[in-house]
Amino acid sequence: MSTFEIDKFALYVEASDEQVRSYAADPEAYVARWEQRGLASRVPVADGGTLTMEERQALATGDYAELYRLGAHPYVLWHFVEAVFVWAGDVSWPEMTERYRTAITPHGRPDFST
Amino acid sequence: MAELVAILGVPHNPLLWRPMRDPMPEDLQRTSANFAAFRQALSEARPDVLVVVASDHARAFSHVNSPAFCIGKAPHFVCTYENEIRTFGLDGWEVPGDTELAGWLLGGLELAGGFDFAMSNEWLLDHAFAIPLVYLTDLDVPVVPIHANAAIPPLPPARRFADLGTYLAEAIKAAPFDKRVALVTSGHLATEVGGPKQFLGGDSPDQEFDDHAVAWMRDGDLEAAVAGCTLERLLAAGNVTAQYLNFITALAAAGGRPASFAEGTPSRYAAGPFFRWDISA
Repeated sequence: MSTFEIDKFALYVEASDEQVRSYAADPEAYVARWEQRGLASRVPVADGGTLTMEERQALATGDYAELYRLGAHPYVLWHFVEAVFVWAGDVSWPEMTERYRTAITPHGRPDFST
Repeated sequence: MAELVAILGVPHNPLLWRPMRDPMPEDLQRTSANFAAFRQALSEARPDVLVVVASDHARAFSHVNSPAFCIGKAPHFVCTYENEIRTFGLDGWEVPGDTELAGWLLGGLELAGGFDFAMSNEWLLDHAFAIPLVYLTDLDVPVVPIHANAAIPPLPPARRFADLGTYLAEAIKAAPFDKRVALVTSGHLATEVGGPKQFLGGDSPDQEFDDHAVAWMRDGDLEAAVAGCTLERLLAAGNVTAQYLNFITALAAAGGRPASFAEGTPSRYAAGPFFRWDISA
């Protein structure tokens, strides 16, 4: 599976305040709705898609280190994380940058082409 | 005949927007002064239109549809996105477009000049365009935005960015109308967002790359810049460093001449690129 689906998901969520709040409030339910919309349509939709088990698990738990390892676009992923955990969450920006750096650094530089 | 009257390269770091204002923090004084000097130089060049070469950040052109190069042909443009207003505190800005020059650069029924541009008649500009425009102008000079993909692999190689600059210089010179055109490019030196080297507090993610990158512009060494900007080398310097490639477009448009001003300006962020080629009227 292409990492495109992760990037599509993260870009869609991060693009609007409403979606960030919705995802941050209940990531698991948000991911379920995303997949339902993706499965319900035979044509591509902007607000849904299909995910692998790994992708689903990582998105439903906000596991950004795993998303990074799977090849999420780093720029897209960081802004997704910043929106969810700092803007809509309770983590300070300096704390989040350190947490993020510590979590992703062991994974080096995964290929983020799709 | 149109005339290329100024060529500039500036940072578009959106994190500057909140802190770079009076009382000016000491570490941002040089960046602010450089923007002011470039704004003055651009004003003195009296451009009728700005061609802005920059790289959209997966906002207008995402993984769903990612052109290598795209020209905006709209009568006006709006900046920026809801998430950029939230994240960076940017405002919503509007700038006029220039459909005549955009159409000339694109071609009419047939693409012009053998350069396979994509075209957009409706395009919300992101900070890569908004930051240069808001710091360098009063948002009253018409704009032709050109997206050069430096974000979503596969990226055009450095040689294509040089070809773009050569094409723009020649096409502007050959235009069948009289306009004074300024080329504004935006990008980065070594910079990382979302990778292990992001937000290092003012230290460059790759000082060796930065030193070369400034020298290529200062010395007018286009071939060394192209050779030195393999995608592998750019990624090693930081995962958004590829936006430096827009300055290769500027250097090529200047005919490979040494920049009149070339500096990597230090601040709390990764060094900011400032390159300017003065063209006497």
